[in-house]
Amino acid sequence: MISYISICIKINEMTYFVSVINTVDTSHEDMIHDAQMDYYGTRLATCSSDRSVKIFDVKNGGQILVADLRGHEGPVWQVAWAHPMYGNILASCSYDRKVIIWKEENGTWDKMYEYTGHDSSVNSVCWGPYDFGLFLACGSSDGAISVLTCSGDGHWDIKKINNAHTIGCNAVSWAPAVVPGSLIEQPTGQKPNYIKRFVSGGCDNLVKLWKEEDGQWKEDQKLEAHSDWVRDVGWAPSIGLPTSTIASCSRDGRVFIWTCDDPAGNTWTAKLLHKFNDAVWHVSWSITGKILAVSGGDNKVTLWKESVDGQWACISDVNKGQGAVTSITDSQQNEQ
Amino acid sequence: MAARWSSENVVVEFRDAQATAMSVDCLGQHAVLSGRRFLYVVNLETPSEAPRKISRQSKWDVGTVQWNPHKSQAHLFAASSNQRVDLYVWRDGSGEAHTSLQGHTRVISDLDWSWFEPEFLVTSSVDTYIYIWDTRDTRKPTVALSAVAGASQVKWNRRNHYCLASSHDGDVRIWDKRKPNTAVEYVAAHLSKIHGLDWHPDNEYILATSSQDNSVRFWDYRQPRKYLDILSCQVPVWKARYTPFSNGLVTVMVPQLRRENSLLLWSTLELNSPVHAFVGHDDVVLEFQWRPQKEGSKDCQLVTWSRDQTLRIWRVDPQLQKLCCANDIVDELMEGLTLTTETEKNLRSQDSEPPLSPGFTAENSQDQFDGPQSGVSGLPQTLQQEFSLVNLQIRNVNVEMDAVNRSCFVSADCGASRVRLVVKFPAHYPNNAAPSFQFVSPTNISSSMKTKIQKILTHTSLQKVKRNQNCLEPCVRQLVSCLESDGVMEDGTNPYVFTNPVTPALPAFPRVTNTYGSYQDSNIPFPRTSGARFCGTGSLVYFTRPITMHRTVPPTEPTPRSLSALSAYHSGVMTPMKMRTESQTTLRLYSGSPTRTDKDQVSISSFYYKERKSRRWKGKREGGDYSSRTIKLAGKVIIQEISCLLPVHKALGETYVLNVNDIQDTCQKNGAAALAVGRRDLAKVWALASAATNLDLSPDPDPDAGTPWAKHPFGRHLLETLLEHYSQMSDVQSLAMLCSVFRGHGSPQEYFTLYGHQQPRAAILAPHHSRYPSFTSSSVTSGSCSSTSDSASTAWTVVGRESEHAPPWGESSPDDYRYANQIYTDPREREKEQHDMNKRILDPSNCWQFDDFKKCYGEILHQWGMKDKRAEVLKFVSCPPEPHKGIEFGVYCCHCRSQARGTQCAVCKRFTFQCAICHVAVRGSSNFCLSCGHGGHTSHMMDWFRSQEVCPTGCGCHCLLQSTF
Repeated sequence: MISYISICIKINEMTYFVSVINTVDTSHEDMIHDAQMDYYGTRLATCSSDRSVKIFDVKNGGQILVADLRGHEGPVWQVAWAHPMYGNILASCSYDRKVIIWKEENGTWDKMYEYTGHDSSVNSVCWGPYDFGLFLACGSSDGAISVLTCSGDGHWDIKKINNAHTIGCNAVSWAPAVVPGSLIEQPTGQKPNYIKRFVSGGCDNLVKLWKEEDGQWKEDQKLEAHSDWVRDVGWAPSIGLPTSTIASCSRDGRVFIWTCDDPAGNTWTAKLLHKFNDAVWHVSWSITGKILAVSGGDNKVTLWKESVDGQWACISDVNKGQGAVTSITDSQQNEQ
Repeated sequence: MAARWSSENVVVEFRDAQATAMSVDCLGQHAVLSGRRFLYVVNLETPSEAPRKISRQSKWDVGTVQWNPHKSQAHLFAASSNQRVDLYVWRDGSGEAHTSLQGHTRVISDLDWSWFEPEFLVTSSVDTYIYIWDTRDTRKPTVALSAVAGASQVKWNRRNHYCLASSHDGDVRIWDKRKPNTAVEYVAAHLSKIHGLDWHPDNEYILATSSQDNSVRFWDYRQPRKYLDILSCQVPVWKARYTPFSNGLVTVMVPQLRRENSLLLWSTLELNSPVHAFVGHDDVVLEFQWRPQKEGSKDCQLVTWSRDQTLRIWRVDPQLQKLCCANDIVDELMEGLTLTTETEKNLRSQDSEPPLSPGFTAENSQDQFDGPQSGVSGLPQTLQQEFSLVNLQIRNVNVEMDAVNRSCFVSADCGASRVRLVVKFPAHYPNNAAPSFQFVSPTNISSSMKTKIQKILTHTSLQKVKRNQNCLEPCVRQLVSCLESDGVMEDGTNPYVFTNPVTPALPAFPRVTNTYGSYQDSNIPFPRTSGARFCGTGSLVYFTRPITMHRTVPPTEPTPRSLSALSAYHSGVMTPMKMRTESQTTLRLYSGSPTRTDKDQVSISSFYYKERKSRRWKGKREGGDYSSRTIKLAGKVIIQEISCLLPVHKALGETYVLNVNDIQDTCQKNGAAALAVGRRDLAKVWALASAATNLDLSPDPDPDAGTPWAKHPFGRHLLETLLEHYSQMSDVQSLAMLCSVFRGHGSPQEYFTLYGHQQPRAAILAPHHSRYPSFTSSSVTSGSCSSTSDSASTAWTVVGRESEHAPPWGESSPDDYRYANQIYTDPREREKEQHDMNKRILDPSNCWQFDDFKKCYGEILHQWGMKDKRAEVLKFVSCPPEPHKGIEFGVYCCHCRSQARGTQCAVCKRFTFQCAICHVAVRGSSNFCLSCGHGGHTSHMMDWFRSQEVCPTGCGCHCLLQSTF
């Protein structure tokens, strides 16, 4: 039933074959809402409407169910792996208004912490850059964003930004640790002071940037371009270049790429990547940036790459000259 | 007027009927309701009388029931039950099953009596055949039409007695019964399943189809490519049928909410808005039929049966009928409408003060109210109906409704918050005209909360009225949920909550199961059911819906915004299908309903349905067992290897070397490695690197010995161009390696002093913003450097020597000179420093960025599991790790177990750690046995154990054997 097929991707007339290395049958009893691999790419966490979170060992093409985490009382929307320097830690958020942080101790997964400070569905969780501690941002439909910081002894310090987005917050994403502009005017050769920053998207159709100042979270920027709810935001990883990049997607079908060359981080320009025919739900950056995976209500996944001259092009098989985009999943699905 | 609309109908409740189908006979005397155990025959003249029953023995529900439409055979009706059709005879108040038609091998989906030949009946089935039966010979069908695909509906043409139509998923086929082998015409009518099919009563070529794709389409089957007209709805349309009077159409929607009106009368000439809504049923209308008119009566009567177990008879008087047909009247009506809108607008604009005086408001509203009533008789006036039907049994909420003034007063108390809200309904409400909301005293919530509520209410109401639906109830519920959630949020901080003991405890977290997909979810985004994520270094993880799961809305409609859209799939709404599926498992796939076993629980998967077997499958496995396949709601998660798309290579990560002592060799090896993975560009780059690091080009320590190689176009400039190129490609691997190699390059002693912390003077480096890709053009100029360094309180120690402020190229400016005068006493020293600066191939002012490259690459190496390689690269980071400041071992006091610092315990004041030899508190170097815990000054212990083996305290512990002193 499972066949290992190749998918052809074209970049500058060069054809690359992308192969499926694993197909995991999760056995979830209801629809899956998120799937994410850990830092080393050896474990897969999935979450579903069946209220469970599952962890699979996917080393060498295998699929061994490591844990079936039960604890949520509603559909689980998203999972997030923490950096392994803090141990094997996974955060999950759910419709039941809870965020649960799970930790593996001696081979068994258990609840490490349960956060119930939101008044509505928690839609997004994202761990901050590991260099600065173990901390997590959560965006909820109650409009608030919480930042949970682990103090080390199992205690979690909570900072809540109320009314971050009117109606609700749908997505959060941290700025990478290597942030251009944070390096200026640093005292004495020590590690530059990292200003914690993250981006969020919400039902007010806005993308907002937040930064921590004197221990308080402040709204830094407000980016307007979308005409419907913003469903996901993704701050691109940085390799040390001066430009900050953020991708945002919305129910209006648009995906915008926001860039900022200004070291102070004040002037952001939007570039429309593409207007899709259906709501766009998710954007994800490749490890070095420049490649963006976009997925949405049309059940398709497309990959986009920024060329050297700054133009974005769809690299997952462009359809018969129509300009329409087919997905890399189409061919795959037929095999299922 | 309102009375005419709401009370002119007859309502009869048959609580136990549980009927799934209904039919009215051609004489207009009886209606048959088909329940599982009994068929109930209702006398429509005296509907409130107890119905007569015909018992039936079947475990199957009745799918369709229909009276024979011919007066000569008016006593006969047919009812389908799974694979069989039973013919019943109704005579003199009693009935019995008279014969049955058996031939189908799967469940029958529809049946229809011929309009011309009283004996003929057509049946359609999932078994792909359409049979025409002659009831005089019930052994086998007289004609079998082979459709290949299972049919959901079949209907005789009303004008042509050979012609019939059937629907198959989204397609319609037109048949001539004389040509049973193939359909006469195919109409690709809809993108989703067709629920209803109806021929035009007068035109033999025209038919109407209603579909899951939220539309009703009108077709002339001679032009199958293009529909004649379309009626777009916001929700799937269950049935759409022509009215016996001309140009009318009645639709039943699959409503979004239980109480929404789903039964609408339309004019086929004007499909923008319904002519009338039949308000009354509390639940889904399962069937509706027209009762034939009595002689001399101009009224039509619509008989409806709903899942609320009531049978209703609605009178449609000539006036209402006329609204459907007469074009001119419609025009008049429209004119009247626009007029009133205009006057309303005028009134609004004239009166610039927003809060109208009460008297004026009332009068104004009265006008608006009277407008449609007096001017255009027959316009649906639904506000009063809404008021009478609205279900507002909500705790702490009181709603006073005033239909005459088209307003209502909502008071809600939630904890300490008190809200008083005046809602005013414009004249055209709910036809795309939203009510206004105004807070009045004694509302005591904050203004931000007011804004929030106002926003939510406006949003909710707009959403509803856009679909011409009533919005009062949803709005009030939104208000309450908003207040409650706010109350919960402020629970801890709001002192009023505690000071007011009367307030009942707020429902802190209402259990989610029942509220899923409800009003409160209107701000929760619609869940993702597919997605892709880059993970690890070179994987793309994605999940999609199973290919067999399809959206119940057409692809042209975007996926809903919020989770509340799911309420449409909440219990009771998809019932027409659900009721059948519960008993008839075989119907499941065909009817396209979600097959959740847990009926009370709505899930996101309800939004999607599983399609019938795809054509491809069908070809292979004709007639395969439909029910045997279970539906998988979760798709597979697929992990793809996409590292070939990335600029970094794992293989290179392994094979690259970094040998500081032999840069030439490093470059050559790396070049070969790059060639091995097919990166010819990198091989050349390594060759260039090799050339540039040639010892022949080593800079002379003497500034007067000529320009260093770094100043040559092939020196720093070349490297910068390369770095810029790989920056644009985001090739952090090449960037980091090049930076490391060129960092290692240079006079070795200099390299090592970089890491010494004993810099005599702090170097001063101008804050430098510009980095790749623009650094070539904007590198340090001496001007900017000196000006900032004058106030150089923020000096930082940087790598290397302190001469960074020298202009890399270009001449020194007078500023430079001034600068030098301030700090350096010896101009030669200054010159030397500048030279040191210049001879480096990597521009020192960008060192922070180079460090970032290395850190980033180090992280990738770590993810690849190459920790040693990572250490090798990070060795070249200019900012060294923080110097070791020493570790202090804490001591727990051996007497009271509290943590102690120093020699004396702060709690019990005794010595924390006493030397076992000299009995003095130990401070400084100490040793102790990990086994018995005894020990003391290192020197004492050393002396003791030189000659002894057991513990000096006499505890008997063989300390030397137990632990490592």
